[in-house]
Amino acid sequence: MTGFSIPVLETRRLQLRGPEPGDYPNFKATFASYRSRFMGGPLNPYESWMLYAAEIGHWHIRGFGMWMIHLKDAEETVGMAGGWQPAGWPEREIAWIIWPEKAGKGYALEATDAARRHFYSSLGWDDAVSYLDPFDLSSVKLAERLGAKKDKEAPTVGNGDAAVYRHPSAAHLENSQIEDGIALEIENHINPIFKPRGGLID
Amino acid sequence: MIIPRLETERLVLRAPEMGDFEPFAAFYASDRAKYVGGPLNREGAWRMLAMEIGHWTLAGFGRWIVDVKDGPSTVGLVGLFAPEGWPEPEIGWDLFAGNEGKGYATEAALAARSYAYDVLGWTTAISLVKPGNDASARVAERMGAKPDGDFAHERHGAVHIWRHLPPEDIADGGMEAYA
Repeated sequence: MTGFSIPVLETRRLQLRGPEPGDYPNFKATFASYRSRFMGGPLNPYESWMLYAAEIGHWHIRGFGMWMIHLKDAEETVGMAGGWQPAGWPEREIAWIIWPEKAGKGYALEATDAARRHFYSSLGWDDAVSYLDPFDLSSVKLAERLGAKKDKEAPTVGNGDAAVYRHPSAAHLENSQIEDGIALEIENHINPIFKPRGGLID
Repeated sequence: MIIPRLETERLVLRAPEMGDFEPFAAFYASDRAKYVGGPLNREGAWRMLAMEIGHWTLAGFGRWIVDVKDGPSTVGLVGLFAPEGWPEPEIGWDLFAGNEGKGYATEAALAARSYAYDVLGWTTAISLVKPGNDASARVAERMGAKPDGDFAHERHGAVHIWRHLPPEDIADGGMEAYA
């Protein structure tokens, strides 16, 4: 491992940084909880430590990975978002998880949108998918707000139960109003003049 | 985290990297991996390779990939290992198929032990050996380690603990012997 360093992304409310040793307790708490059931959890402490180490190694092997989501205005993390592709994954995935007590504030949307723009503009990705458990309704709703659509033809992962949501391509994203909708929703969280439509979970 | 590079008479110990994945996956798919949590499919093996790299960042130490100077590369994975839930920091060695019987594990493990004592300042070290893994127990024995009870790991089950010689009981073989 030589000079590689994980890029830092900034959004209105968030800073996305690589996973650091000091962030491990929050990761462990969430992966010990029921919240992680759609991401391979709950995990015991040994499994959760090994996975956290793999999150870091992922960056060094692939050049991308999952960021830790920090609030700019407070010394705390609220979850993780970014890219994930171990061996055997058919395509590059955009993934996210928000700590249970931090849900409902649009952090996953804001972080995932920034991660996707980074992958498209800085790393040159043309598209990406998200592998979602059909019962993970909050993530399915988030994928839809990101403009992703279910792709029934695409190969999936794991035991085959995960649905594949295909993100809009870089070109499509540029020529659509998806980003406008995302910006409006984030604005609503920051300055709630307008009530968001429906129940926003992540 | 910069992963240090160590050299012994015949071996180079260096950072794990993507190029090690195929031998790594073959090892974890094989019967040889039954003592270290395997067999694993390719995705599982990839996660283990990523974990080995992240281990260095989280713990400040980890395991190296072993290359033979005038021979094959990626012959094994040897070094210092201490994920959460481990009884104590461990010196571990996994040799990949076809590289047994040449003393590589012992030579690399001695270098790892010297690094732990001389660079990291460890005052003791253990190795965990699954019951039945006689080849691994012989490496511990050759290094002068002694059986020191058992440990039950929540995932790996029962393992034998081998306690290594403390730094003060090692006559020679400090870092300079491997520099």
